[in-house]
Amino acid sequence: MLEQLIVSGLGQGAIYALVALSMTVVYRATTIVNFGHGDFVMAGAFTVYVFVVYVGLPYAAAAVLAVPILFAFGAGAERGLIRPMLGGPHLAMAMMAIAIGYGLRGAARVLWGREIFPFPRVFPSTPLLLGDLVVTGDALVTGGVVLALLAAFFAVFHLTALGKRLQAVYQSPRGASLIGLNVGAFHQGMWGVGAALGAVAGMLVAPVTLLYPDMAVGALIRGFAAMTLGGFGSLHGAVVGGLALGVMELVIGGFLSTALIDITPYLVIIVVLLVRPTGLFGRPALVRV
Amino acid sequence: MLRRIFVVAATVALLLAPEVVAQDRTGLTDDTIKIGVPGPFTGDNASFSKAQIGIIAYYNWVNDNGGINGRKIEAIRGDYACNEARGVAVAKRFIHQDKVFLMHGNSCSGVALAMKPTVVEAGIPWVIGHAVNQKLATPPEKNIFQVVVSSHAAGVAMAKFAMSRPDTKNIVIVEHTNEWARGYRDPAVETLKERYKVEPSKMLVMERGANDATAQVLQIKAAKPDLVMAILYEPEMAIFLRDAQKYGVNVPVLTGYGADIENTAKRVGEPAAVKNFYALHMFKGTIDGDALKPWADMIKKSFPEEQLTQFSFASIGSAVVVVEALKRAGRDLSREKFLAEMEKFRDFDTGVLAGKITLTPESHASPDDSAAAGFVDNKVVIFEAWNKPF
Repeated sequence: MLEQLIVSGLGQGAIYALVALSMTVVYRATTIVNFGHGDFVMAGAFTVYVFVVYVGLPYAAAAVLAVPILFAFGAGAERGLIRPMLGGPHLAMAMMAIAIGYGLRGAARVLWGREIFPFPRVFPSTPLLLGDLVVTGDALVTGGVVLALLAAFFAVFHLTALGKRLQAVYQSPRGASLIGLNVGAFHQGMWGVGAALGAVAGMLVAPVTLLYPDMAVGALIRGFAAMTLGGFGSLHGAVVGGLALGVMELVIGGFLSTALIDITPYLVIIVVLLVRPTGLFGRPALVRV
Repeated sequence: MLRRIFVVAATVALLLAPEVVAQDRTGLTDDTIKIGVPGPFTGDNASFSKAQIGIIAYYNWVNDNGGINGRKIEAIRGDYACNEARGVAVAKRFIHQDKVFLMHGNSCSGVALAMKPTVVEAGIPWVIGHAVNQKLATPPEKNIFQVVVSSHAAGVAMAKFAMSRPDTKNIVIVEHTNEWARGYRDPAVETLKERYKVEPSKMLVMERGANDATAQVLQIKAAKPDLVMAILYEPEMAIFLRDAQKYGVNVPVLTGYGADIENTAKRVGEPAAVKNFYALHMFKGTIDGDALKPWADMIKKSFPEEQLTQFSFASIGSAVVVVEALKRAGRDLSREKFLAEMEKFRDFDTGVLAGKITLTPESHASPDDSAAAGFVDNKVVIFEAWNKPF
């Protein structure tokens, strides 16, 4: 049973990792934890659903369209709602992120409030059997996407000039501005990327969770716990944190008590903040004076 | 002395005379009866509010057919999104702001239980049409009625149906950790122990909002049960069934009234995953059968876009009872007269619920009977016991 719990936990953790990775990307560029990200995931899933069910597009085309739509939404939200607050307290921006999320959820509730929809399945529902181990297509694809995104963002942040500029914008927006970087455009772009990643997460998560306006509430807190465990701002930390959290939930549920599954992310947050506030891969912030 | 006794006796007689007892007519005008309909119209359990949509559709139908003793019903929705704090706020709004004559609706037992102290204190008539927890109306409060199969009756029915399956000895229970689930679990376990001398081999938890049931399913697989009682709401029920199929767990799964069988099957999306799935059933027929067709047409008349599930019909029986009590109370309606009429129902056939309604001063909850619905050749069949269709 332990092997199965670990394998299934990695599949579940891949979802958390994807959410955490998206939140980390935005955090790396803007220093804001997007607490509305769960609703970007939901919005992405509903966007695909609308294209597939109402417009009649094939799933692949709907997925391709949903990504730029969410990118535009994220970039627009930054320009219209976040940027006017730049320079203000971080808490206010975090609250605005929550408000954007609730706005999206409210809109979805107005449109689809009383229904829970089965999301079109992309991958075969028949699981893959490796001996006694059951592995689902959903988990394999989600895991693959997470690793591909991790590699892509790692390359961008560490191997390109764009990544260096993003790092500069993250570390000192004023300094970056003084050397001619358009800080606003960088922030806008990264909010767009974060929302687009939400769309990717939504289309991968919805076949598992079913589709409804509150579908990503649980994923958000787990994504946050994964970020905390992995270390804020660490891309690979977000992924490792997500996978570890998924495994922990299932192993604890399988061997200790199923009643503990739901509180595992909260326990993780508490323990990490008390024992190692920087998480597994985070670094303490050093300020040169 | 004699004079004093006379004065006291006359005062007591005056106070006890029905015609002079204060009559509360809050929420009434010459033309309307204001009724608050609380329900989870939004949120992840919003599918339950189909029950309240059924109530409103019935009230619309009553209005279209002349109303009640010269008055039309004005139904006001109160959305609490299956959240306890919001439920209390909705109750207070109905009582103090909207000043409704009565409240009628409610899904989500936990919310209804949270609202109960507020409603008891206000004394406003409250007819619960969908929330099943037995503590809502048992022991009876003078102003609260529960016209739906209570969780106690449903829990007993679950145990009886489970044990009607031959050679059932090993039962696992998986449940939410809320008052609603406990309302089913406790009487089910009690009945299993006392009547059948069977104790559940495992009690597992699946929290609301969970999107994975691997840990639960693997524990069930290891326990090799004859039957699983899954006391879960609909989204989690669908996820549980899908994961059970994924890990090759093919035992019968029986649920209560928290998950609509057809809707759940639609959500699971794989007929094989619901082949062994059973849910308690409270109606005279199936959704697409003749018995429920007039009620389906009635809902569609008010809400043409409404997708019908079993929840859509769950509270119509209580609406029939409310309207009948309002009629019987007469044109000179008051809350006191309405409550008195509510206690006079005996074997009343609502036309939609399978069980008949009996409400007395000693019992404010009815009906007690439940069947179970399951799939045979991908069609819903109603069973009175294991493998015994009606």
